[in-house]
Amino acid sequence: MDQHGSFPVKLYIYDVSRGMARQLSSLMLGRQLDGIWHTAIVVHGKEYFFGGEGINSCSLGGTPLGEPDSIVDLGHTEVPADIFIEYLTSLAESTYRGDKYNLFEHNCNTFSNELAQFLTDKKIPSYITDLPSDILSTPFGQALRPLLDSITINPGGSNITGQR
Amino acid sequence: MTRKLTPDASCSIGGVKMADQGAADPGNNNNNKAEASEGTIIKVTVKTPKDKEEIAIAEDASVTQFKEEISRRFKAKQDQLVLIFAGKILKDGDSLSQHGIKDGLTVHLVIKTAHKAGEGASPTASSSTSTQAGTSSTSSPGTEPSPTAGSTGSAPPPTQTPNILTGFGDLSSLSGLGMGSANFMELQQQMQRQLMSNPEMLSQIMENPLVQNMMSNPDLMRQMIMANPQMQQLMERNPEISHMLNNPELMRQTMELARNPAMMQEMMRNQDRALSNLESIPGGYNALRRMYTDIQEPMFSAAREQFGSNPFSALGGNSESGVQPSRTENREPLPNPWGPPNSSNPPESGGSTTGSTSTTGGTNPSVSNPLGINPGSLGNGMFNSPGMQSLLQQISDNPQLMQNMLSAPYMRSMMQSLSQNPELASQVLMNNPLFAGNPQLQDQFRAQLPVFLQQMQNPEALSVMTNPRAMQALMQIQQGLQTLQTEAPGLMPSLMPGGIPGMPTGGIPGMPTGGIPGMPTGGIPGMPTGGIPGIPTGAGMPTENPASSPSSAGTNTAQQQLMQQMLQMFAGGGGGGAGGGATVHAYTGITSFTPA
Repeated sequence: MDQHGSFPVKLYIYDVSRGMARQLSSLMLGRQLDGIWHTAIVVHGKEYFFGGEGINSCSLGGTPLGEPDSIVDLGHTEVPADIFIEYLTSLAESTYRGDKYNLFEHNCNTFSNELAQFLTDKKIPSYITDLPSDILSTPFGQALRPLLDSITINPGGSNITGQR
Repeated sequence: MTRKLTPDASCSIGGVKMADQGAADPGNNNNNKAEASEGTIIKVTVKTPKDKEEIAIAEDASVTQFKEEISRRFKAKQDQLVLIFAGKILKDGDSLSQHGIKDGLTVHLVIKTAHKAGEGASPTASSSTSTQAGTSSTSSPGTEPSPTAGSTGSAPPPTQTPNILTGFGDLSSLSGLGMGSANFMELQQQMQRQLMSNPEMLSQIMENPLVQNMMSNPDLMRQMIMANPQMQQLMERNPEISHMLNNPELMRQTMELARNPAMMQEMMRNQDRALSNLESIPGGYNALRRMYTDIQEPMFSAAREQFGSNPFSALGGNSESGVQPSRTENREPLPNPWGPPNSSNPPESGGSTTGSTSTTGGTNPSVSNPLGINPGSLGNGMFNSPGMQSLLQQISDNPQLMQNMLSAPYMRSMMQSLSQNPELASQVLMNNPLFAGNPQLQDQFRAQLPVFLQQMQNPEALSVMTNPRAMQALMQIQQGLQTLQTEAPGLMPSLMPGGIPGMPTGGIPGMPTGGIPGMPTGGIPGMPTGGIPGIPTGAGMPTENPASSPSSAGTNTAQQQLMQQMLQMFAGGGGGGAGGGATVHAYTGITSFTPA
């Protein structure tokens, strides 16, 4: 039954800290983090991610973050583009509206994870989804939490509380 | 025996169980291990983007049966249901077990919205879904509210207009990147918002002859646009854009559109018609949809993000005033349209239409204000001298404005691009109505242009301009010179080369280098009473200038030395350093010193 057309699904992983996390995290947080991960799902020739503005899409590597640091192959999906867009639309109206963004609990990685499961029934690597809890488990993270909560990351464009 | 296993006995033939299909009592939720292996009711979680439900279904059920159950639960028609499991679409003819759907697993459901129109409309509903063509969404300010997704015929241009124009606006991204002074940006944004909500302002701006002049010059537009690094990035990613940019016809048409709200209206209507026609062509709908998601959404989201309102609203407003824009006669020195908002500021122009803080005058390109025209100043047509004077006043009172303005990165790039392309700059300047009647002025200015541009780039020069006391001093000097001029005309010719008139005027209006806008204008102020009147006086000069300049020095050494010193100071040795090469024009309006 795979004849329906098989579309590859990939996960693009970006380090928004540009390597700074790898160098400074053990100093600042007390534990080593290799990066602050932003992810996007790439399918049907476009990159989809969730940011402070809501669900966004762009061409591959089209955000100011440039090319991804790593790419994970999630396999293939049969879901054709139109169904996928429908799905995204419903998500965007409900659980992934722009205002629902939360840096720790409901961020781009949450979205990528959900999309990955929808498309291929696989989850994204756990080191990505564990990141918020890793950070919050440090005293530094806890202290910064109120500030961080107010940040939304918009890799595609304008940032609120400016951060890239 | 015919045991009805499930409501639809499709899996059993004559009630005989197939080997791998079991029987179960309908409604029995327990794992009822009846005869053959499975034949149990399993609980499958069906998850839609919006909610999820647990559905009990026989393990051997077919997808059709499953869908029946689902349609009951979710109140949707079966044809609208699309089931996805493990990345595969479940077709009606399959069975659940074929896909390995077992108890406790999750199946995804997408409910198709009724019909195509519905689908097309849904993107609007899901306002957050947007495609961002690179940075285009960030640089929304620059565009006019020309929103149609692009018709078949001229698909690129109207759609691209916003993109392009936004390309060299780029307010929000700058503030986001924290490069511009946040204050400045905010104010500008406020101004833009106001602009957006006040369609008259927009039409007034568009009627401004300078604006129209600028927009009718495709080369200029292209230059400006390409100078923006983000635009370049965008162009790399989207070759169509550069293609469009390079096509003069297209550019011209686009600019016509942007200039003329009435035409834009008309165009949009045509496009709508064309779009609806397109839908009826086979495959057309898909193309449309693609067009929409690729092009229109980023625009919309960009515009929306900028203005938080319907990008069409300004257009709608425009239609009321959608009369052919008429070229008004020459006005006085126009504040630099792109300029740093600070310079041309509402307060001066009597009825500050913007009404917001002074800086909002700045006008960086916005959606409806591609050239960053200051609505305050343009809208009221206040380019007359009192305006200029108060402008200067304002600048000296508020150094922060200048600072902010000058520090805006795009300003610099604008100046850079202009200085790299003196022809362009001269073109722009020549378009300035002030120059129109005065060829000598033009020539003079043209000659001084490269130096002038260099000056603009000179950071010291810039810092002088931001220094209110320096500006005041300059003003005083100019006033002094003017007095001298009237008192002792014989003395002046040598000191006041056409530079003065050329200066200020050149500096101000058309100057995309505008960063200075306020500056030159400011520089002039005292000058010829801020503008026109002054110009004629100044203009008088130029004629003598060529003759006098060269000779210049001759007459009054002492004064000249003084002048030279000042100039050197200003020009930082770059422009007029040696022997008072003059440059500093912009600032002092004195200029045009040919080396002593």
